[in-house]
Amino acid sequence: MANIKELTKKNEPLSGGHRACAGCAAPVVVRQALLASDKPVVVGSATGCLEVTTTIFPYTAWNVPFIHNAFENSAANVSGVETAYRALKKRGSFDKEVNFIAFGGDGGTYDIGLQSLSGAMERGHRMLYICYDNGAYMNTGIQRSSATPFGANTTTSPAGKKIPGKTQFKKDLTKIIAAHNVPYVAQASVGYWNDFITKVQKALATDGPSFINVLSPCRLGWGFPPEETMEIARQAVACRIWPLYEVINGTWKITFQPKEVTSPLDWMKKQTRFRHVFQPGNESILQKVEEQVEKEWQELLRQCGQA
Amino acid sequence: MVERVMMKGNEAIAEGAIRAGCRFFFGYPITPQNEIPEYMSRRMPEVGGTFIQAESEVSAINMVYGAGGAGARVMTSSSSPGISLKMEGISYIAGAEVPCVIVNVSRGGPGLGGLSPSQADYFQATKGGGHGDYRLIVFAPSTVQECLDMMFDAFVATDKYRNPAMVLADGLLGQMMEPVTLHEITDLKIPPKPWATTGATGGRPLNLINSLGLVGEELERINQRIQAKYREIEANEVRFEEENTADADLVLVAYGTSARIARAAANKARIQGKKVGIFRPVTLWPFPYQQLTDLAKAGKRFLVVEMSVGQMVEDVRLAAGGLVSVDFYGRFNGAIPSVTEVYNEVMKLTSKQGVA
Repeated sequence: MANIKELTKKNEPLSGGHRACAGCAAPVVVRQALLASDKPVVVGSATGCLEVTTTIFPYTAWNVPFIHNAFENSAANVSGVETAYRALKKRGSFDKEVNFIAFGGDGGTYDIGLQSLSGAMERGHRMLYICYDNGAYMNTGIQRSSATPFGANTTTSPAGKKIPGKTQFKKDLTKIIAAHNVPYVAQASVGYWNDFITKVQKALATDGPSFINVLSPCRLGWGFPPEETMEIARQAVACRIWPLYEVINGTWKITFQPKEVTSPLDWMKKQTRFRHVFQPGNESILQKVEEQVEKEWQELLRQCGQA
Repeated sequence: MVERVMMKGNEAIAEGAIRAGCRFFFGYPITPQNEIPEYMSRRMPEVGGTFIQAESEVSAINMVYGAGGAGARVMTSSSSPGISLKMEGISYIAGAEVPCVIVNVSRGGPGLGGLSPSQADYFQATKGGGHGDYRLIVFAPSTVQECLDMMFDAFVATDKYRNPAMVLADGLLGQMMEPVTLHEITDLKIPPKPWATTGATGGRPLNLINSLGLVGEELERINQRIQAKYREIEANEVRFEEENTADADLVLVAYGTSARIARAAANKARIQGKKVGIFRPVTLWPFPYQQLTDLAKAGKRFLVVEMSVGQMVEDVRLAAGGLVSVDFYGRFNGAIPSVTEVYNEVMKLTSKQGVA
């Protein structure tokens, strides 16, 4: 378990002054993740908000070795880096213990990078892949992704008279990666730093591939005031739209139980991307959301042996 | 009905496609062309069309391949790195002779490059880009009006020759606004597509959409047929514009955004009494080699202006055939040449040679 006082004494792996929006959760995700490592880290990041806001040439916010790669390649790229280090070690020309972390957004992970992520997990590289899930292509101007929630308004799933926002439910990526039977898979929220950092530490201690999907609210794409990022991240957990759990060697466990369970509709009301679904005539959308959240929760309980 | 509106180049491309009868759009987000899929996501349902945002560029171009093979008027759009990812599919589409339109609102490279406009994808667009002996029919708009109009031209050409066509714009054209005249197109010029996979009912032979040739010299025969088609395109489809070339000593050769800048610089030099003309390739493939060769034979020197380190200049040099000198001025990696810079280059070249 991490102690926040100890964490503040560590060197900042990602310096301030980068160009992320006020209230952006992605840099917080990175700082929490990298501070959790007690060994040197090598980071790879796919194209996306995180990479664009932290690495605009000639500046970089990264105080750790960093490699950028095209959108679909974060897992493949870090696979290559990890393999090279392993080969160097085998030859005796390198003897340090290093953690390898790949970052990707939901576009680069759920969609275009799923193939290379699946390959890396299956091959068994000793690396941690962290998806910071902000639920759309925010970097290019808020286009829908397969992580965008049902009903959300984006620029390519616009809410109009004919179609009320996105018509598909969010892909359950964490479960897809769990189905690879890798040693460590977890779902986390940037709003619960202690839970997230503990998960990163467990993942980095794993001798094999690991994956953490961390909810990373986007104030611009979701439509809420910048100071409410952490609150929105916590409420997603409280309303069970984003439960916190981990899968260690095939054993599922819910890692955080909210004291008070709230309605997903209350969470949605705080975000302008869902504004249209609360208008008269869209009651069936709200009902579908509630049913889906309940269905997924019951499924998770069953997987955790609690149903 | 004729309507005059202000539009971004990207919106004009999307609206131009819809007016040209395109009812299927498959895309994927990338800056600086996002207004195209965004416009399509809103507009396609209004006209009974289909918009799908794929999970990658590879999927988007293969959706285009599928819909084009079924005979639909179909398109995709992207920007430089995204076009690179589509290249496998584009080669397959060219090999299978399926019509479709690909729009590249290009940006700086190589690699992730930047978001600013660039013309560094000329080679990729005009020399094939993917593997194998193939070409794209490439249109290079220079105004927002042309962004709209050339979508129709591209759809007509792609259907006529069963060869993928590309509209090569850049980030500047995509993002800037200009007044545009919207016309109703009454004749969409969609030819019959008896080769399309529409369901072989009624006893017609099965249609096959394929680019494979393994037996004997079959692949060579397929390529001979495709090459014969390319010679026909070269004979019929070359488009260009020229201004003040008749009396010119120096001809500025530029396309797209660069042509606008070159034209302003040439006009400025004309005021100073310099005999400067403009030659603008409108189709980049087929390229107006013959017209440039004729100008070279008439003793005109060339200054090629591009937003790249110099790509089209190689084709101009081929056309000039060593008869005249071909100079180059380029800004690149997202930089845009100013009128003054090009004008200074013109003045330097015209005074150095003692040409008034």
